[in-house]
Amino acid sequence: MLLFRSEEMVDGWCAANNVPKRPLVSLEQLWVLAKEWYSDRLTIHSRRPKPDEMVEIFGRIGLTGSFWDPTADTWGNPECS
Amino acid sequence: MFVTPIKLAIYDTFAKTAQAPTVVDIATKLNVPVTDVQNAFDELHKQRLLVPEPGDETRIRMAPPFSGIGTPFRVTVHGRIYFAPCAWDAFGIAAALHTDAVIHTKDGHSGEAMTLEVKKGKPVPAPYVVHIAVPAAKWWDDIIYT
Repeated sequence: MLLFRSEEMVDGWCAANNVPKRPLVSLEQLWVLAKEWYSDRLTIHSRRPKPDEMVEIFGRIGLTGSFWDPTADTWGNPECS
Repeated sequence: MFVTPIKLAIYDTFAKTAQAPTVVDIATKLNVPVTDVQNAFDELHKQRLLVPEPGDETRIRMAPPFSGIGTPFRVTVHGRIYFAPCAWDAFGIAAALHTDAVIHTKDGHSGEAMTLEVKKGKPVPAPYVVHIAVPAAKWWDDIIYT
């Protein structure tokens, strides 16, 4: 996950590293994700969003499609398995 | 399992010192056995709230949004300098601490210095973009790379 000054810089990085270009995330979208993931992280009830919650959060800010679908993910959180 | 107090102690240490505590640090702080703390570290790793240092599971590489090592995402809050694993987590430190922040970083391609700012609960507008090379389903296959 890298930050770029512009989309042109993303294009340059993808070409230089032979990496397919993925959907871009704006700072406004990134701030929503940061708040959703971390605003309660220092509290007793903090946890990562579950996969279905992640899909809802991504969709709410326009990040849709298979790239943003974590449901193939398998993780060790008993609440999510 | 004795996990929640240890989770809180880890994040409290990061928040107050900007440094990653070790298993021994937490055991000393809470006056509990080192083995209990190590087991909690392992459980928090399973919950994806902690990533141990590769090769040394008594140390923390990251407890998102905080990094245990220096990174290209330096987050300044009230004069204290934190490091974040990525841009998402750099904003995440401001979100977790519920405060303004200034983030010094660099462009992922050119290396040119960049500054982000969170002011009055939202990012200062800038035309910058984040590119995530790995699909969401694969982020934790190698979270340090992601």
